[in-house]
Amino acid sequence: MNTFNRHALSIAAGMTLLGLSGLASADTIKIALAGPTTGPVAQYGDMQMMGAKMAVEQINAKGGVNGKKLEAVIMDDACEPKQAVAVANQIVNQKINFVIGHLCSGSTQPASKLYEDEGIFMITPAATNPAITQQGYKMVFRTIGTDDQQGPTAGRYIATKIKPKKLAVIHDKQQYGEGIAKEVDKTVKAAGITPVLFEGVNKGQTDFSALITKMKKDGVDFVYYGGYHPELGLLLRQSREQGFDAKYMGPEGVGNKDISAIAGPASEGLLVTLPADFSADPANADLVKAFKAKNEDPTGPFVMPAYAGVQIVADAIKGAKTEDAVKVADYVRKNSFQTPIGKVAFKDNGDLKEFEFVVFTWHADATKTPAK
Amino acid sequence: MSGFSFLEFLQQIINGLTLGSIYALIAIGYTMVYGIIGMINFAHGEIYMIGAYVGLMVITGLSLLGVDSIAAILLVTLAISILVTGSYGWTVERLAYRPLRGSPRLVPLISAIGVSIFLQNYVQIGQGARDVSMQPVLTGGWRFGPADGFQVYLSYMQVLIAVITVAFMTGLTLFISRSRLGRACRACSEDRTMANLLGIDTDRVIALTFILGAALAAVAGVLVGMYYGLVNPFIGFIAGLKAFTAAVLGGIGSIPGAMLGGVVLGLAESFASAYLQTEYKDVVAFALLILVLLVRPTGLLGRPDVEKV
Repeated sequence: MNTFNRHALSIAAGMTLLGLSGLASADTIKIALAGPTTGPVAQYGDMQMMGAKMAVEQINAKGGVNGKKLEAVIMDDACEPKQAVAVANQIVNQKINFVIGHLCSGSTQPASKLYEDEGIFMITPAATNPAITQQGYKMVFRTIGTDDQQGPTAGRYIATKIKPKKLAVIHDKQQYGEGIAKEVDKTVKAAGITPVLFEGVNKGQTDFSALITKMKKDGVDFVYYGGYHPELGLLLRQSREQGFDAKYMGPEGVGNKDISAIAGPASEGLLVTLPADFSADPANADLVKAFKAKNEDPTGPFVMPAYAGVQIVADAIKGAKTEDAVKVADYVRKNSFQTPIGKVAFKDNGDLKEFEFVVFTWHADATKTPAK
Repeated sequence: MSGFSFLEFLQQIINGLTLGSIYALIAIGYTMVYGIIGMINFAHGEIYMIGAYVGLMVITGLSLLGVDSIAAILLVTLAISILVTGSYGWTVERLAYRPLRGSPRLVPLISAIGVSIFLQNYVQIGQGARDVSMQPVLTGGWRFGPADGFQVYLSYMQVLIAVITVAFMTGLTLFISRSRLGRACRACSEDRTMANLLGIDTDRVIALTFILGAALAAVAGVLVGMYYGLVNPFIGFIAGLKAFTAAVLGGIGSIPGAMLGGVVLGLAESFASAYLQTEYKDVVAFALLILVLLVRPTGLLGRPDVEKV
């Protein structure tokens, strides 16, 4: 009898809770923000969440969308493909129709299949691997360029401005890093420069001394690294230690303050391809002020694309007059939107019609200036 | 690739020995525990990770206090890290393994995996899941070779790692072979029941083993923190895997074997990276392990009678 009572009580309590949460969510439009809030690349997740949350706040302050408030639900995938699938399943189960994310290409790809199958609208502000929008999906979009734009930008810069005698291309064997390294490799080869070395390192590797010794012996004078900042930071630091003074270049995945925290003075002069600095655009002055007022840094490469993602979702729900994700996706494909990353329109595959990457020179104090 | 260069070869040996020293320090912890209670302590990688965190905190604290003598920083950091990490080692043994003594072999193994996951998440919650980085404390080194050609670089830090590793290994070897407690350790390793009957407090010896293993892992953690300058809650996994491989390669249960295994593994990785492709360094390292185990199933220096308990 006793046990029965206890069970009955907990069931009742559970039902009450379920009932409450059902009530709470009835008058909001939920948007999942999926990306890493933990793990080695959580810094990028911060940029994404910061931009998206600001958009949600500002849209809500103006009265929301179709009379409803937006509600951001943060989901941590730690940039792990497996966890990303688990997160995607949670989003499906919670019946959330809109996703801003994921961040890493390796986790975006497996998650995107679920969204496509379940009819959930996904827009990534950060995943740049071309394969993500080559799957013939209807529900997958991005507010950032792709590695086949970024890689050639880097490759052309190397071929025309740097003209290295001996070029090495290194990557981290991940979808993002290797993908972009191959694009760079292709572009420089077309320009008549054949890298003397094209090799992969391990994600999470800490000792690069053997590789550095090899590059030093081969007389490499320029290194392109496809991957993220923890490995490149150590690579830079150990290169300087060993007296290997080649110049390094990397994609937007290495361009954040931590590269300078890890590599210290060795990060001075690193070249990075990044989206144009949207926070320097005069049209965004008010938005930048709003970020500064919250003591947040709007200059990160994914802040504005994430803001734009939320705004596109909101505008499309307004324009299509429905929260039906499939209809919203149709609307997004057919219309253009005024966002902090400029006026954007999408190709049929979900990529932006136009997006520009710019080469920056990174400095030891974690600032960047456009490269000459 | 251009031809063979002796100076590059020398540099790769230096690289490999540095890496191998660190593997060896961690491998000792696996091998000692296995030698005495026949259990693989999968939480050992996490103990090393805690050692690295404590090391980083102490070094940062000392530099805030304005201590700039390398010797002082090193001694204080090692002492504190060994103390803290050693007590973690002891606590883990007391809470997660001792209550399971006498149960089937798989049970403590599963408990060890649980402790490993627990510690990883515990540090993640306490310290954040982010990378923690630190600027090098000890910089500089010697350069040899032609001024206009390839120069071999030997940093002070690499020398320090080698010296500290050798010092602690020698200390451990002397302790095991000469001291009373060391003799008790060896007795337990040979036959725990008999040792118990002869009046050796085996629980105490086992606890000591865990503390010693953790202390050496702490040394490795501090050295890695100073050398690479990057620590996160996940470093224990890969380091633990590599060190475990080193222990098996050298012959699990054998202390000189763990040292040899670490060095062999470090050199193998370095050479694979240098003369093949960096991608293949783990392939070569693990292929080497399989080869050695095929020819000598007990590892390089392992004893044939290792199967017991």
